[in-house]
Amino acid sequence: MKKLIILFVFVAFGFTAEAQEKGSVLIQNATVISITDGDLEDTDVLIRDGVIQEIGKDLRAPRGVETVDATGKYLMPGIIDAHSHLNGVDINEGRNVVTAEVTMEESVDPNDVGIYHALAGGATTIHLMHGSANVIGGQGETLKLRYGVSQEGMKFEDAPRTIKFALGENPTRVHGQGNGVQPRTRMGVEQVIRGHFDEALDYKRKREAYLSAKEQYDRRGRGTPPVPVAENLRFEVLNDIIEGEILVHCHSYRSDEILMLMRVFNDYGVENYTFQHANEAFKVAPELAKNGAHTSVFSDWWAYKFEVYYSTAYNASILNANGVINSINSDNNQLLRTLNHEASKVVRYGNTTVNDALKMITLHPAIQLGIDDRVGSIEEGKDGDVVVWSGHPFSIYSKAEMTFVDGKKYFDLENDPDDMRIQINPGTDFEDGSNYREIVSSRDEDACMQDAFILFQN
Amino acid sequence: MRKHILLLALLFSGFSLQAIQAQTTPAHALKNITIHNADGSVTESATIVWRDGVIEAVGKNVTIPFDAFEIDGGDSLHVYPGFIDGFSTWGSPEPPRNLPELDNPGDPPYDRAGIQPERKPSVLLTEDKTFEAGMKAGFTSAALYPNGYMLPGQVEVFYLAPAIESIGLLKENLALAGSFEPAPGGWGNGAYPSTMMGVMAQFRQVMFDATALQQHMKYYAQNPEMPAPKRDQVLEALFPLVNKTTPLYFEVDTKEHIERLLKLQDEFGFSAVVVSGKEAYAKSAELKRRNIPVLASIDFTEAPDWYTKMNKAEESDKEDEEESSEEMEEISEEEQSYRDKRIEAWKAEVTNIKKLMDAGVSVGYASAGLELKDLSKKLEILLDEGGLTESDAVKLMTSNTASILGLGNTLGTLTKGKNASFTVFDKAMSEDKAKVLHSISNGTIHEFEGN
Amino acid sequence: MKKLNIFVFIAALLFGLTATAEAQITEKPEYGKFAITGATIHTVTNGTIEGGIILIDGEKIVQVGQNAKITPDYKQIDATGKHVYPGFIDSWTALGLVEVSAVAVTVDNRELGQFNPHMFAFTAFNPHSASVPVTRVSGVTTVLSHPSSGTIAGKAAVMDLWGYSPDSMAVKKSGALVMSLPSSGGGGWWDNRSEKEIKEQYERQIKAINDFIDKAHFYNQMMNAYEANSSGKTKPDFDPRMDAMREVLSGDVPIVISVNREKAILDAIEWIKSHENMNFVFEGVQEGWRVADEIAEAGIPVLTTTLYTPGRDYDNYKRPYENPGLMAEAGVKVAIVSNDTENSRNAPFEAGYAAAYGLGKEEAIKALTINPAEIFGVDHIIGSLEAGKQANLFISDGDPLEPMTNIEHVFIKGFKIPMTSRHTQLYDEFLNRDAVNE
Repeated sequence: MKKLIILFVFVAFGFTAEAQEKGSVLIQNATVISITDGDLEDTDVLIRDGVIQEIGKDLRAPRGVETVDATGKYLMPGIIDAHSHLNGVDINEGRNVVTAEVTMEESVDPNDVGIYHALAGGATTIHLMHGSANVIGGQGETLKLRYGVSQEGMKFEDAPRTIKFALGENPTRVHGQGNGVQPRTRMGVEQVIRGHFDEALDYKRKREAYLSAKEQYDRRGRGTPPVPVAENLRFEVLNDIIEGEILVHCHSYRSDEILMLMRVFNDYGVENYTFQHANEAFKVAPELAKNGAHTSVFSDWWAYKFEVYYSTAYNASILNANGVINSINSDNNQLLRTLNHEASKVVRYGNTTVNDALKMITLHPAIQLGIDDRVGSIEEGKDGDVVVWSGHPFSIYSKAEMTFVDGKKYFDLENDPDDMRIQINPGTDFEDGSNYREIVSSRDEDACMQDAFILFQN
Repeated sequence: MRKHILLLALLFSGFSLQAIQAQTTPAHALKNITIHNADGSVTESATIVWRDGVIEAVGKNVTIPFDAFEIDGGDSLHVYPGFIDGFSTWGSPEPPRNLPELDNPGDPPYDRAGIQPERKPSVLLTEDKTFEAGMKAGFTSAALYPNGYMLPGQVEVFYLAPAIESIGLLKENLALAGSFEPAPGGWGNGAYPSTMMGVMAQFRQVMFDATALQQHMKYYAQNPEMPAPKRDQVLEALFPLVNKTTPLYFEVDTKEHIERLLKLQDEFGFSAVVVSGKEAYAKSAELKRRNIPVLASIDFTEAPDWYTKMNKAEESDKEDEEESSEEMEEISEEEQSYRDKRIEAWKAEVTNIKKLMDAGVSVGYASAGLELKDLSKKLEILLDEGGLTESDAVKLMTSNTASILGLGNTLGTLTKGKNASFTVFDKAMSEDKAKVLHSISNGTIHEFEGN
Repeated sequence: MKKLNIFVFIAALLFGLTATAEAQITEKPEYGKFAITGATIHTVTNGTIEGGIILIDGEKIVQVGQNAKITPDYKQIDATGKHVYPGFIDSWTALGLVEVSAVAVTVDNRELGQFNPHMFAFTAFNPHSASVPVTRVSGVTTVLSHPSSGTIAGKAAVMDLWGYSPDSMAVKKSGALVMSLPSSGGGGWWDNRSEKEIKEQYERQIKAINDFIDKAHFYNQMMNAYEANSSGKTKPDFDPRMDAMREVLSGDVPIVISVNREKAILDAIEWIKSHENMNFVFEGVQEGWRVADEIAEAGIPVLTTTLYTPGRDYDNYKRPYENPGLMAEAGVKVAIVSNDTENSRNAPFEAGYAAAYGLGKEEAIKALTINPAEIFGVDHIIGSLEAGKQANLFISDGDPLEPMTNIEHVFIKGFKIPMTSRHTQLYDEFLNRDAVNE
């Protein structure tokens, strides 16, 4: 069955498709929002071969290194979005309640012009996640927004593995209501997780027993050979979660389901997890802080589903005040390109300081993705992922002017042409509807349910 | 079923069908023809002699044996080696529609997941008008596979004939077919895997399951006292892929899809052939390094209207140039820049094959869904804008494809000792409205009247 | 399966409603005579007054100026260093009509049927929606809440966000007629229809609308004739739908049409030409910048937003932000809206982006105040700070388009409202959850 494959052709457009370029640049005289060391006025930042080499005053540009005069401007670390579905080929493998074996690493579209839109909003790293149709979804992939490179080239090298969990209305609607398969309630959600963890541990025992018996039998060549236990990708991943090799990011809303997952994770020894959306996390801030759990929330979305009817835009401030490492995410292609604005609202809703709110789109998401040794602040030794802003990023009038990833400039407000496509369909006319992008507004429901909406139409 | 067994039996016994049908003509000779060979050479006033499906002699000044039935080409007929379609679903039954609802779409039976590597086209062959249409377009052989999803079945090569009783199996177990197609059923009734990443994960899992079963069968063969393995024709059909003894013919087009295929190749070590490969030029260096051939599609997008008009205008008289440039519509800068990018992309698409050839990648031909009625239109684009000459195109569809299929010794060129599969046109293929008069497939003559 | 869901949802909702009772606003507003002094007053229609005075008496603003005599019966609010603006008007929202969009029983803006000009958003507006307080404490004091289904969805209402009944909250019950026009252009790559199918469907739909309007004209004519002189005439049957169209046909109540793509906008402008007496407004207008001159020439005002992604693959990334500014430059009257329900409070930020990308601060403020007021015929009541207008205003510590600005006081219809909402109440309860009283 051959579906119509719409061919888009990669047009090189001046980018080197395969080479992952690192750049050098000297940005001069900006107000540097370092995140970890305050705001440094009239300061220069020198990036060499993709790494921040020096931060100081009146630095000299090495030969061949371009300079950028940022007088009167601000320099901020590139924004990190801990929850995005920006350029996933598919978002939800929604046909089974647990799909830990699939990974967004294999669902990356490096050619989506939305990547450029995000760069134009000052974002440089995103966590490309599986959707929230399943209780245990697929693995995620942390990407740098290197627009114009291959899918492999976009990967954030050595970023820890991550995986998506989802609690509450989404999986119970998709599977319970849609397919007649457990879970249909929050009770069922807990048992799906426990049941699969237990099965995974049983598998591990049996598989290891088989492998060692096989090794013995093959070596000695006598006795009775073991019955082979096939390698099972899904259970291997579940075991990796239990063993702490994968950071869990769990889509959740209600305070009681947040507590449920902490209980379950404590039972199985899972320590590193972030609650995503977590609209009611503020109700259990002390418990979250105690367990060292992280949260990644919207700035002010609420009331679009029943499970977020009792939430507040002050969520982030409450969490922050209670010592929880919190980030602000988008889960939406429009919010992704105005995350500076989203984070600024945290200052309005509560007593969060400007720097703490800035952390929520830089250092904190970096911590939650396990990449804070590389990004999330402007410090010597970290990656050259920085953005020049016309004014303070929390002013609604500020615009991102240049965005650098690994010291290479990927967005230039002044000089970039209108048409930034790198993937052209040779078959469509200028006015053809095929050029229409699906318009995502800042009000669209969380993209987590993309590809799976139809599954809970009942 | 019995017919097919008979066919196979004959093949293996060394008889050709022809021998039974036409004992009064032990051999054939076609003389006074122009032969267009795959290497680009053209031999005029030539003769070709074949016996028992094999070319006995070919060229100028050939002595025609006494027992060869002569056909005079009258110096107006043009003969080309039979084209070979490297990957096609001709004769495949249609996949079922209206699939019954599944209780557990997350764990479907193999066929609902699209995992059907055990299926063989020779077993499933159904009547299909495409066979005759294909021969009328110049094809005498095709590598066929069953229409399906991620692992639709096996690839086998056939000598074509209009009716399926006469289609001859040339090579079985050539390869396994694969693609990134998710499970059938669509939104309402689909199953796992429903996404490309799901297909990749499921591909791995089914290979792991096959590995375990093979291991179990090996152990059991030596130790019948242990629990017996649960036999499974689906998993067993994957053993050759697990053991890397059979290649995977994988239908992919985009650069990213090709990269994903290469990833699976790195993990499992099988040899691969890219089918269709519309953007394969973007990975030509890598494909060359891995010795991955491409059975390329020529199903190009049509040129934009304004581009065709522009070219026509350029070709016509200079006098008309002024008029036609006035007719050129006023378009915005935005639209002009759009057009520039579009034409660049279009040219990149149509020069795919040329670029692959230049990079040293082995390139052949596959229809990969291209309908025969569009074939000549697409060939025209290939020759006009794709950078290929007519003899390049002939080579692409004959000897190149034959060697990729591992049949370089049997098919693809008109030389002594090779199989007698060729097409007789009433004029040179490049001429307007060239028609196929006869198609000789494995030595059997098929006549087409009126076309 | 369906029945179970309805029970579950109703049960949840009832539970929700009883729980809501605790979260309702218990503080009382202030009302009477107020003198706001020392602030920078942004009148919108008469320039900006530094260090000025506003006097409020009951429902109305009685004075706006540099100087004023303040008698002791006026409660003084020292607003030195602060700013006063007219209450913002969000003129495209479903606030009050939809409580939780995913819970079908709480969605009250989509009546069945294609032609429903007689459905009034005013009727279904829930004054006690949790979203009402959440919105008004942000400085958005008034909304145009609209129904949303079929070809003619009904009449949107202009509602102030303070009051205990729709009657006391309505600024204008018949704010606008909501209509959707088909487009002769196709949808995106996901639109499977052939060109012929698109054309046929378009023509059929347009004919249905034209027929309906023709019938409405006839009814209006007939009723006018009867009302002018009923002697000798049999009274025609009353038709609520047709009756609801009468104020629309005369142009008293504008028609809001949602159009976004270039072709749809041009089609709508063309269609409008044959309906001269009626008054039209476009909503959405995402590709308005491409045909700004045409829209300006047709004299059609627009309701639009900025926070959405570019609509074409080859569009510059900032087109949505620039769109209002480009249209205003061409002479179009622009109102900026939230197009949201529970986050109507974000309308000022949509305007902020427009201001930053070409519209300018002053025009952006107009787009949230006097422009929507004029478009919906309520500018004699609200939309600017002028003596005689209703006291809808707020006091902020800075530019209200800036997210870090705090809205300190809000007046709606003269009531100085409590600055509490579900959001602030949850903050108060949970900031320090485990604290106990000593």
